[in-house]
Amino acid sequence: MTQAQPESASAATLSDPNSRSTEFVAVQGGGETTSAASLLIAAYLLMWGLLFAFVFLSWRRQGRVETRIAELEKAIAAGGGDGSARQ
Amino acid sequence: MTGTKDKWFYGLLAATAAIFAYLIGYIFLVTPLAQLQAGGLAQKIFYFHVPAAYAMYLCGGVCCIASALYLYRPTDARDAAARAGADCAVVFGALVLGSGPLWAKKAWGVYWTWDPRLTTTLLSVLVFVSVVMLRAFAGNGEAERKFASALGVLGTVTLPIIHYAVVMWGGNHPTVITKTGGGLRHPAMSHALLVGFVAMTLLAGLLLWSRARLSLALSRVARLEEQAIATGQIDY
Repeated sequence: MTQAQPESASAATLSDPNSRSTEFVAVQGGGETTSAASLLIAAYLLMWGLLFAFVFLSWRRQGRVETRIAELEKAIAAGGGDGSARQ
Repeated sequence: MTGTKDKWFYGLLAATAAIFAYLIGYIFLVTPLAQLQAGGLAQKIFYFHVPAAYAMYLCGGVCCIASALYLYRPTDARDAAARAGADCAVVFGALVLGSGPLWAKKAWGVYWTWDPRLTTTLLSVLVFVSVVMLRAFAGNGEAERKFASALGVLGTVTLPIIHYAVVMWGGNHPTVITKTGGGLRHPAMSHALLVGFVAMTLLAGLLLWSRARLSLALSRVARLEEQAIATGQIDY
């Protein structure tokens, strides 16, 4: 019963975000929140993910555009146009 | 001619892949850890972060020169180079702005702070994003192209400000690369950074090449569509 009062006080403190400026309460299993290894892995995954996504989207769009060019050239050739374009 | 160009492209691709494989192995197996205040293990982000920033400058430079040339005398090739430069500057800017905060979390304790170099980098990337958005959504007309070119020149003007921001206004951002030799106190660190610069230069070249090719193809589609509409082959 004598333990109950401090425990409930700690719980109240933990639920109040403003209390961090005036007191610190011991918690179980705190430890470091962000390890260097996890940040390093996150950075490398982010960088490579971005690069591969960009390359994949460019490649897919290039394929669609080339298909469209072929369609248009075919349509123009069928109609008697020369299909040339300024470069 | 296309076959020769393709051979060069795939040769460059193979060289880039090989140098990146070497770089990753070297960073993790040979390069020593930096002091904890610099981020410890997280400091290894530096060997990609800084070369990515350099690649952003490079692509921004391409965008600026091609945009200025386009404003002087418009051609599809100049427009394609300007557009590719802006696209790639955004990609490398995203790599810088994505990797930097993860390193900063360990070294500074926060993901982001309104440090002069961080703020000017964000500003520059946003200018290049506006060029990309303008070209993507405002059409492919001459006026839109010229407006995007002017914006591309403006975006590149902000790049030297990023570089000198730390010197002029101070801030948290480290300045380990200097004219007097820099602050990398181990030969393996300098070597990893140098290889990083070479790898990012090759990667920037590849991405610029492929995006310029895509932009040229898009211009060709626009002209073929105009021609097909004029001759009544397709309806719009």
